[in-house]
This record gives sequence, structure tokens and C-alpha cells, in this order.
Amino acid sequence: MLNFNTPIIDTKEYSEIKISEIEPILKINLRGKSRDFVTKIGKELSIITPVDPNTSSSNEKFNLLWLSPDEWFLYSNDKIDIKDANVLENKLFNEISKVKLGSVTNVSDHWIMINLKGIKIFELLSAGCPFNFNNFKKSKGAVTQTLINHIDVIIHNKNVNDLNLFVRRSFSAHLWSWMNDSARFI
Amino acid sequence: MFLINCPYCGERDQSEFSAGGEAHILRPKQPTELSDDQWAEYLFMRKNIKGVQFERWNHAHGCRKWFNMIRDTSNDKIHAVYKMGEKPPLK
Ligand SMILES: [Zn+2]
Repeated sequence: MLNFNTPIIDTKEYSEIKISEIEPILKINLRGKSRDFVTKIGKELSIITPVDPNTSSSNEKFNLLWLSPDEWFLYSNDKIDIKDANVLENKLFNEISKVKLGSVTNVSDHWIMINLKGIKIFELLSAGCPFNFNNFKKSKGAVTQTLINHIDVIIHNKNVNDLNLFVRRSFSAHLWSWMNDSARFI
Repeated sequence: MFLINCPYCGERDQSEFSAGGEAHILRPKQPTELSDDQWAEYLFMRKNIKGVQFERWNHAHGCRKWFNMIRDTSNDKIHAVYKMGEKPPLK
């Protein structure tokens, strides 16, 4: 992580849709099955580990998203110095991986965060996505993993008409092009 | 196209899932004691019936968990969805 480069570095505005890449953001993938693991990450991050499917919890620093019964995704609210990501990774690694409670993987480089704002963002996503956003858009903190234009994404409903979307780095430029192309027709 | 009720995430479009073939096939305890025919029977032979079939599915583009499903292959009607390791709710 010596040279942190992002693939998009752009913000685009359309009528009622604003999309921007937000980077660098700290992202850590956490996997574990035991109850001890769940309480441990809650304690280390001062956050309640969400155990209900498709939900998340947040504090002033982090968001913790439910991905699966044994998998969570942690990301920072604000842009970070990438060195700080390594510090937190090491801390969690020592507390969780080393004592064999679960696994800690720094995925800050793996995922790219794109923020979507505006009243028409769900229309934009639905142009290439089979997921039913009706309930999702009404519940703050909701999380889903789905496909947009055949690309895997994680979507976090941060606030009303304000989403953070995560896409794998190698697919991000393609998704970005698709979003910009589709936004023109909405 | 049809909807599948993932036992973890809830109802999602079929395109998020991948089919994993027939369910409830047990790996033989002592593979070395089997004849080639018996091993081939375990490894390759699948029912592939027209009608109600017990299948494994994976929510590949969601929670990535495996689960079982009872589906009518002739009309895609889903009779039940249940987690790995659970007994089928229907016979
Ligand atoms: Zn699922």
C-alpha cells in the first residue's frame, strides 16, 4: 500500500443524481463464527455487531455491515491516511486472528467506494439491478449485496437518498462507465 | 426468471444464485474400499428428474452461503428452502 492509487477519481452530476468516488477509505473484512468473536469486534471498535441479516451499525468513526452469518465488512466514515488502516488492521489482527477467534483482512485496496446521492439514485440502480429497493430505501442502515449490470456490489443505505456502494477495483471503471451512461437516460 | 428465498438474506432474484446440483449425496466413508463403478456412481450419477427434486443452491452474489431447496424442475415452483445440515421439511 505504498502507492495508493484509485481507479476513478471523479465526481459527476446529473439531474437529481450525484455520483462520486470517495477514497481512500479504510475497509476491513471480518470473518468468524463464535459468539466471542462477535463480542470481541464490538468491543474493539465500540460498535454493536449487527447480527440481523441485511443490517448495519455505525458510530462516529466506522460502519459495520452484515454480509453473511459469519462475515462482516468494516469501513470508515471519513477518508483516512492509509497508514492508519494498517494500524487498525494490526490491532484487530493481534486481538482476533492471532488468538484464532476469526480472520481479519484489510480490503482497503480491494473495494472501491462510490457515493450516490439524490432522489433518482434508486432509479439509476434499478436500471441494471434485480434487487427490490422498496423496503431498502426506507430503512436507514440497510445493507444488500447484489448485482448491478452483472457486477457484484455491496450497497449501504447511509441516509435518505444517500448510498455508499462498494465495487471490486477491477470492475469499478466498468461500473462507473455504466452508471454515467445510464444516468443520462433517467 | 424466478425468486428464491435465501434462508439468510430473504427473497432475491434467481440471477444472484447458482445451482449446485442434487442435494443429500453422502460421500462414502471408505472410498478406497469401493469399486470403480461404485465410486463413479457416487461421483457422477445424478437423478435429474422432471418433477420435484432436492437441490443445493448457493447465494453466490449475496451472502455466499450454501443451502438446500426443493424445486419442481418442470415449472420452477419452489416447495421449500432449508439450511445445510437441516432435515428436508418435505419427503
Ligand atoms: Zn443469502
